[in-house]
Amino acid sequence: MRHLTAALSACLFAAPAWAALPEDGALNFQPAATRIAERVHEFHNVLLWIITLITALVTVLLVWVMIRYSKAANKTPRKFSHNTTVEVIWTVVPALILVGIASLSFPNLYYQNVTPNLGQIAATSNALLAEGKTAEHLAYTKNHFPDAAEKGFVNVKIQGNQWNWTYTYMDIQDESGSALEFVSNGLHKGRASDPVDVGPRNLATDYPMVIPAGRYIRYYTAAADVIHAFTVPAFAVKTDAIPGRLNEGWFLVDEPGVYYGQCSEICGIDHAYMPIEVRVVTQAQFDRWAELMKTGDFDAAAASVREVAALESDTQFASSN
Amino acid sequence: MSGGDVKHDYHLVNPSPWPLLGSLAVLTLAIGAVTYMKGLFGMPEGTWWLMAIGFAMVFWVMFGWWASVVKEGRTGDHTPVVEIGLRYGMILFIVSEIMFFVAWFWGFFEFSIFSDARVGGTWDAANPIFQEGLERFKQFPPEGVTTFDPFHLPLMNTLILLLSGTTVTWAHHALQHGDMKGAKLGLFITIVLGMAFTALQVVEYSHAGFTYDGTLYGSAFFMATGFHGAHVVIGTIFLTVCLIRMYAGNLTPKKHLGFEFAAWYWHFVDVVWLFLFAFVYVTPYLVFEAGK
Amino acid sequence: MPMDEIALDHSHDAHDHKPGFVTRWFFSTNHKDIGTLYLVFAIIAGIVGYSLSGLIRWELAEPGIGPMLWIQTNFFGLEGDAAITAAKHFYNVVISYHGLVMIFFMVMPALIGGFGNWFVPLMIGAPDMAFPRMNNISLWLTVGAFILACISMVVPGGPGGNGFGGGWTLYPPLSSTVGHPGPAMDLLILSLHTAGIASILGAINFIVTILNMRAPGMTMHKMPLFAWSILVTAVLLLLALPVLAGALTMLLTDRNFGSQFFIPNGGGDPVMFQHLFWFFGHPEVYIMILPAFGIVSHIVSTFSKKPIFGYLGMAYAMVSIGVIGFVVWAHHMYTVGMNVDLKAYFVAATMVIAVPTGIKIFSWIATMWGGSIDFKVPMLWAIGFIFLFTVGGVTGVVLANAGVDHALHDTYYVVAHFHYVLSLGAVFGLFAGWYYWFEKMFGVKYNSILAGLHFWLMFIGSNVLFFPQHFLGLQGMPRRYIDYNEGFSTWHYVSSIGYAITLVATIIFFISIAEAAIRRRKATSGNPWGEGATTLEWTLPSPPPFHQYNELPVVNTKGGH
Repeated sequence: MRHLTAALSACLFAAPAWAALPEDGALNFQPAATRIAERVHEFHNVLLWIITLITALVTVLLVWVMIRYSKAANKTPRKFSHNTTVEVIWTVVPALILVGIASLSFPNLYYQNVTPNLGQIAATSNALLAEGKTAEHLAYTKNHFPDAAEKGFVNVKIQGNQWNWTYTYMDIQDESGSALEFVSNGLHKGRASDPVDVGPRNLATDYPMVIPAGRYIRYYTAAADVIHAFTVPAFAVKTDAIPGRLNEGWFLVDEPGVYYGQCSEICGIDHAYMPIEVRVVTQAQFDRWAELMKTGDFDAAAASVREVAALESDTQFASSN
Repeated sequence: MSGGDVKHDYHLVNPSPWPLLGSLAVLTLAIGAVTYMKGLFGMPEGTWWLMAIGFAMVFWVMFGWWASVVKEGRTGDHTPVVEIGLRYGMILFIVSEIMFFVAWFWGFFEFSIFSDARVGGTWDAANPIFQEGLERFKQFPPEGVTTFDPFHLPLMNTLILLLSGTTVTWAHHALQHGDMKGAKLGLFITIVLGMAFTALQVVEYSHAGFTYDGTLYGSAFFMATGFHGAHVVIGTIFLTVCLIRMYAGNLTPKKHLGFEFAAWYWHFVDVVWLFLFAFVYVTPYLVFEAGK
Repeated sequence: MPMDEIALDHSHDAHDHKPGFVTRWFFSTNHKDIGTLYLVFAIIAGIVGYSLSGLIRWELAEPGIGPMLWIQTNFFGLEGDAAITAAKHFYNVVISYHGLVMIFFMVMPALIGGFGNWFVPLMIGAPDMAFPRMNNISLWLTVGAFILACISMVVPGGPGGNGFGGGWTLYPPLSSTVGHPGPAMDLLILSLHTAGIASILGAINFIVTILNMRAPGMTMHKMPLFAWSILVTAVLLLLALPVLAGALTMLLTDRNFGSQFFIPNGGGDPVMFQHLFWFFGHPEVYIMILPAFGIVSHIVSTFSKKPIFGYLGMAYAMVSIGVIGFVVWAHHMYTVGMNVDLKAYFVAATMVIAVPTGIKIFSWIATMWGGSIDFKVPMLWAIGFIFLFTVGGVTGVVLANAGVDHALHDTYYVVAHFHYVLSLGAVFGLFAGWYYWFEKMFGVKYNSILAGLHFWLMFIGSNVLFFPQHFLGLQGMPRRYIDYNEGFSTWHYVSSIGYAITLVATIIFFISIAEAAIRRRKATSGNPWGEGATTLEWTLPSPPPFHQYNELPVVNTKGGH
């Protein structure tokens, strides 16, 4: 499914390959950009069916009794007040439904909440192939990505401040020898003097967070002053950034594109004006951006990712199974 | 006090100004406290008189209100069924007090036991990025803080409170058997022991190797033991009122709810202390100090 | 007469006639008068809280900063960036106090203080509450707490201006001196302390009344479900509020006396506040909804002319909701970085609550099944409640799953969820009770046409208001935002139209009160609802005498509930 949408988007859209924005009038999630989000959406779709059916059942029952047992339709009320059988049924059946929900919920939760052990992924994948278990291998590589695992994590520390984000690339040293670090400000502050035509309002930033496509990203959240929350709806990740704590999360995005999120824990005056802009680019574009960032020319670096190049389609399909 | 046709034993209390005045008192106290702490309505920080008026009003209302209760009890409003209700009420009040202390213990336990959950303990504790934080938080009390040796003053205080628990029971039994002399003596000793506890606690506090402000351990320690200390003082006052009422011939072998409630409250304070002693004084001392 | 004498003069017998105005309404020891005062207070606080929500929907009708800026410019004379900053802070203040006022000063005083005071003694056959004088201080402390909260709104708070703008959850460090150094937050803390003391005293009063003052023959298992619901609610209050008081005290001393509980630099932990807060906060949502459960049960039974289906199941479903309610608190905190196993536990525990809740929903329908349903106004509200609470309940099952909650936490999906259970659940229960007992309390009849119109407009309006918020949340619209990207415009606009519809409904509500007060159609009998209304309050005249049950009613030991 992911590869199909990827191929579709590669065919239909020019760069940026994908922009994850709120869509006016939409009824559901923003399109999934990570396997985490895909799994959340699949699970949510099941839940949506369950809750819709339950609500429909209650509504139908309510309407039925309202019509059938209205004063006009039923003059003399019956007097029963117990029926052990139905009481047991409506206790046990919901409980079983909940057990069913939980059985889907826990694998989903553990998948997104446990940072993958990259060393093990390649080994497991190879073992499955060696044993000729292709079906298992296919299922395994749906959720785990051996190619990406071999390249290791891209580690980013994300610090929330009043009211912007500081991104620290722990694996990249700038010219002074310390980890590459920059502050990302929203371009809009709700003022009349806000710039126009610089990207989606309240979502665009001056220096976006840039990450390579198809790589495991491990992020840590921290905060300088009050609690903030890092989230990107298309990734279905959300982690609070709390002073005095260091939280961890991970995601992997296949599709180059621009993904937007917004601070999700009230943090004061400009809570609505500290957006998160994530530009997912090819490894080559990422490396070029990193080189520019190292020199301290943030503007040139930002300009280099203004256009997000799509993955070359042969690479795209080569990486799929 | 019942009207002509009332055929039940419940206590229909006459209209009373105390609740409204009590609310005014609390309102004054709250605004006064904020004025004292932060400054308000043009009054500078440190303005104390409004808070003092608030306290005075609160004490006035408490005195007036409970004087009414005592008077009602003595004029026959506290029928057996009303007495049962009052007992339930006191028990429930103590339950709510217990939940109040749960908050302090919760804080102390979280800081002392689950501190590593704050940094990476939830994820991958071996990750070097978490090490700095782990080092920082894993010690409680932190390096440089000298805690009390629980087997000096705190142990003595434990013995004092346990002893006072027995003397108040002595007073209760004496009272039930009409031995007013024994009751007064038992109660008097209880009050003296309560005061001794408070005095020793003051001595202990003055020798603390840490402070309330500026250190987490100090905050957690003084908040828990300090609120307990405040309850000891309240309990001592409660018992003292009972002693005065005994001398006034106010408490009889048959009717002495006020004394019973004071005794319950005292036992509650006693049990809270045992928990404090075990978990705030002794356990951290044995676990952390032994390791140093 | 000197004040003390009013309280102490026992020779003066005030029971056979009503005392004078000041004594009756300010020094009251009468549960019905105190209940009425609670309802009046809740209506006043409700106007404040509802106006604040009007400001929210007005602002959010269109993207950009509009009405808040207009207010700053026109009422406070600010200009330029200063006005923008003030507008942003003002919006945060509005959402914070909307939540606090609605919870602590509208829903709780109305359901527990108002209807609880009025009808628990009437239903269990008691002449008054166990501690009538303490009952009155619960009321006046609540009023005092509300005054403190109102003062807090207009004194310096954070860097942006007056009032506290950190959400009703008061999370530090935003509520510490880092975020809000001014006295507004200190006043708010003391306001909640005061409201908490009031509620604890009220809870003790209700528990003792219910345990000790039931009429002869009324065993616990014959007690009306509303009394059961208040009993469970009171126990939750008694156990949950002291923990909140502890957390607030820590916050207060952090702010003023240098303690470090929630201050990271001193080694403290902001998340501990969240644990303590939600240990109170989760039972708090059941505190708000359980009395509505009780009210709806009686209404459904009365207008179906059938006894409650599965009475014991209904009672113990409430008890189990109360018990489980204490062990699920951290599902409000899935994103704080909890251990994943801990999250899994909270997922499981939270979903368990759906079982007793389902029992209640199905039992209400089964009560109607086979009945002869009379669709009088209270019944409309009760049926509306059942439907809306179901919608709010099932989205709760969605949010219980931590995996999905990571996507939806702090979005409008959550806002929609808790407004469906509280704004549409508790408040519909509230209005159901209002119309059910209106004639009993005030002795006059309301106008059914106005009341019906109130229901239908409220039902349509609040659905239009809150249902689109699910869509916004799924698309990623975060909570507590003054401004949003144009991609969220349509559903925000629809939501604001929904508010306008509820505004018309609310105006009709006040017109119906005025109409009933002016026309004064006297109640002709103690029981306007007929054979279905079987609880004790319907055996009394409307309004009941100043002191009822001078001779205690004896409950038939063979009869049902």
